[in-house]
Amino acid sequence: MPALERLRRGSAGDLIWLGAWLLLTGPVLAGIGYAAAASVGAVGPGASSAGIERIERVLAESATWRGLGLTLWVAALATTLATAGAVLVAATFRGAGGLDRVARGLAVLPLPVPHLVAGALGLWVLGQSGGVARILAALGAVRMPAEMPALVYDERGIGLALTMAWKEFAFLVVVATVLLASQARELEAAARTLGAGPLQTFFRITWPILWRGLLPAVIAVFVFVAGSYEAAALLAPSDPLVLPLLMADRAADPDLARRGDAYVISLLLLGIAAVAVAAHEWTRARWEPLDS
Amino acid sequence: MPSERATLRRPTGGCTRLLGIVALASAACGRGDGVSASPAGQAAVEALASLPWDTVTVRARGTDVVWRMWRGDPSINMYVDGWVTPRLRERYGVTLRAVEGQGPEIVNQLVVEREARRRTGTASLVWINGETFSNLRRERLLAGPWAGRLPNAAYVDSASPIVARDFEQDPMGYESPWGRVQFALIYDSARTPVPPRSLDALAGWIRAHPGRFTHDQGFAGTTFLKIVLYREAGGVVGLQGGFDSTRYAAARARTFAWLDSLRPFFWRGGATYPADVAAMHRLFANRELDFSMSNNQNEVVTKVRQGILPSTSRALLMTDGTIANTHYLGIPANAPNAAGAMVVANFLLSPEAQLEKQKPDVWADGSVLDVARLPAEWRARFAALEADPRQLPRDSLAKYARPEVSPRYHERLAADWRTHVRARQR
Amino acid sequence: MSARRGTIAPRSLDASRIVRGVVLVALIASSLGPLLLLGLWSLSGRWLYPAILPTEYSDESWRALGGGALWPALITSVALAVSAGVVGCAVALPIGRALARLRGWRRHAGAAAAFLPVAAPPLALGTGLQVALLSAGLGGTAAGVLLAHLVPVVGYLSLFFLGTFTLFDARVEAEARTLGATPWQTWRHVLLPMLRGAAGESMALGFLISWSQFALTLVVGGGAVRALPLEVFALVRAGQDRAAAVGALLLVVPPVLGLAALRWAARRTSMMPA
Repeated sequence: MPALERLRRGSAGDLIWLGAWLLLTGPVLAGIGYAAAASVGAVGPGASSAGIERIERVLAESATWRGLGLTLWVAALATTLATAGAVLVAATFRGAGGLDRVARGLAVLPLPVPHLVAGALGLWVLGQSGGVARILAALGAVRMPAEMPALVYDERGIGLALTMAWKEFAFLVVVATVLLASQARELEAAARTLGAGPLQTFFRITWPILWRGLLPAVIAVFVFVAGSYEAAALLAPSDPLVLPLLMADRAADPDLARRGDAYVISLLLLGIAAVAVAAHEWTRARWEPLDS
Repeated sequence: MPSERATLRRPTGGCTRLLGIVALASAACGRGDGVSASPAGQAAVEALASLPWDTVTVRARGTDVVWRMWRGDPSINMYVDGWVTPRLRERYGVTLRAVEGQGPEIVNQLVVEREARRRTGTASLVWINGETFSNLRRERLLAGPWAGRLPNAAYVDSASPIVARDFEQDPMGYESPWGRVQFALIYDSARTPVPPRSLDALAGWIRAHPGRFTHDQGFAGTTFLKIVLYREAGGVVGLQGGFDSTRYAAARARTFAWLDSLRPFFWRGGATYPADVAAMHRLFANRELDFSMSNNQNEVVTKVRQGILPSTSRALLMTDGTIANTHYLGIPANAPNAAGAMVVANFLLSPEAQLEKQKPDVWADGSVLDVARLPAEWRARFAALEADPRQLPRDSLAKYARPEVSPRYHERLAADWRTHVRARQR
Repeated sequence: MSARRGTIAPRSLDASRIVRGVVLVALIASSLGPLLLLGLWSLSGRWLYPAILPTEYSDESWRALGGGALWPALITSVALAVSAGVVGCAVALPIGRALARLRGWRRHAGAAAAFLPVAAPPLALGTGLQVALLSAGLGGTAAGVLLAHLVPVVGYLSLFFLGTFTLFDARVEAEARTLGATPWQTWRHVLLPMLRGAAGESMALGFLISWSQFALTLVVGGGAVRALPLEVFALVRAGQDRAAAVGALLLVVPPVLGLAALRWAARRTSMMPA
């Protein structure tokens, strides 16, 4: 019975796929559901009569949008710096020689450093009374902490972006290294035998492969930085508050009725994640050579 | 691509049915056990109310107590983990586990636990005061009354308005006092040999030294703002007797005007504020600020010993008066072990524990006991307690102590500061 | 990069050497410098502005390690991370394999579904999971926290196995089956050996993801499950920089050593370019 066999196999495959899909997204969707319910005031701290009034109020506040702006700006800056650094390191140390391996190993070392340790390091190094400032003071370039440019707790989030770039750059180096080792080699060799110089080879052959392959990882880094709480808690300013901090701030609001606002911010953050996931999948599917 | 998108919009019939089942199942899971019965902690407290104290200690023997408290100070942690916990275990057979949790987190956690329809929660004891207590009472998240039946409650200094009232609220047995502190500024006598002693003098000093002063966003910073509020209301009497929104509005307007006039001279031009006191201490110790502050007047004592503050740091009281308050212990309504919690609270209230806590090399937290009511040997020991040279004299503390007022003032001031000052909205 | 004779090659070679030198020095400073800084902080007694090196040294924080909260937190974190790695690998492997077999929109939806729990900000994810786990009676327990950690771990490892299985030549499996092997035999004698390397790597990745979780542990554990990141963060926020540095070293050094061991082992089996 070929038709029955096809039907049985088809629905079994469907069920497996559905099971896998539910297992993966279930918790997140449940979280989104709860956050949505809390945003309309049905559940959670500060639950009140259900309605979209809370959502409207939070979306009308300038703190929400300024926070979103700073979050996206810091994420973009950190991602750009990390990508530039990773491409530089991966392209400079591509060989199989000992020095190249050592350099790549060094670059990957910060990979397991958690955000909170990176944040602490950023505080100790980049603060106005931190390591860099003390060295500058010893050299006579600054006389007191206030003369050092403000890199932490600053409204542009420069220190936060630098710290996150340092941490995420290791991850991008790994991806870039794999890309350069696997895909670009043959094409580059062909280009060189045809007489192209090193810079030409890089810009016409290597870079196009590199940026397409890196794009999913870059999007991932962007969303990791945007969603990070610990580093921001240690380095970010109090105004505007980046979204994870804004969420925690609302959750601890002195006014109990306003604590539900945190869930609206949570929905915003999950929305950013959803957009990033879609973009990640689109770029991954489009330029992953073995994918269909 | 277009065909794929079209397929996306049409889930198969089997898919939708399965999803429906899953949704129902998760909704059913929400129906926890014992929803109709009263939460465990409250039921236990009511049951134990009529029984002698010995029964409580017997019930508590061999049990665990999870205590949610602020764990940000190693001196306090050392006292709790290193001194209190072993004694509780050997004398009462109670295993104490102190875990991190501050006011807003505790309230949110208890609300969510109740929503999840759990009859028992995680924590049996919580360290609270002020607006946290007010929120918990309003939401009926605390068990009680129980504090009055503790044997050591007889020693409590109930005549003192600082201890007998928690932000003007009568605890009514729903929380047991634990310690008392008073707000003080911290300055470095090496950098600031002649510190300003009143708010007016402080304002003048801030203008003369721009970028060297600020306050934090946490409890200590709000207390500082309340001190300014008291002055702008014509003293604490102007705000006592419950929350009055007219008086609040007038005092707040003047307070924010005072802050606005000084904002350009604050640290970082008043554009950003440290998250909490510890961040301020770091800035102060590293010479980014010339002042720090704390709700505990003896913070200098412990922090200098820990090497966090420079040894020349001193505490400073404002002649306008600084706020003294008491912190308490509460038992959540869904506490899994109310008997154990009561035993712990009673031990913490004992003369022995209060004396140890007050020692300058331990925590230097004020005792809530009335020394006159104690037995002679404890009176002698309290009197013999050596004072650290950095501690402020008791009569100064008493002279400038002002009580807390209704928690609504604290809530409103903190909330309004966030919207009107921190976020620069007008 | 072979130089062409009799051209401008020597100059470009010098420039590339300078670039390599500069980047290498920068790498050494940026990767080893922070570790050195953590070590210095952990041994400092008093280190205030403007001192470049600590003015007093003290090993008090290291000596206090045994009796403090850091050691039990380390053990909790190791237990959680190892469990998350092993369970995550076991759960994600079949999921990744199933996804790799799909084509078209289901494949994309599956891969996106795998990435969603990884991309979701942990704070938002945690508050969402909190109620569900509380209802199941797992709030504030290590088991609940493990389940919460498994959410991003299974997601990321599913993506990883999707990539791994896509790489495998499907013909290998089909050939084994045309020769008469049952699906179980194919799995056991063909795929399993190939998977051992990937499984090891995935367990290490799962370990890392769980090891560095902070907001998830904090919210779902209700502050009661004390993993190492929670303790270190609390110490930094409390201004206890010396103890925080000790905790940070405990948090960073084991995974760094593990990662180095992994790369060395991988190089020996030539599974990935070192």
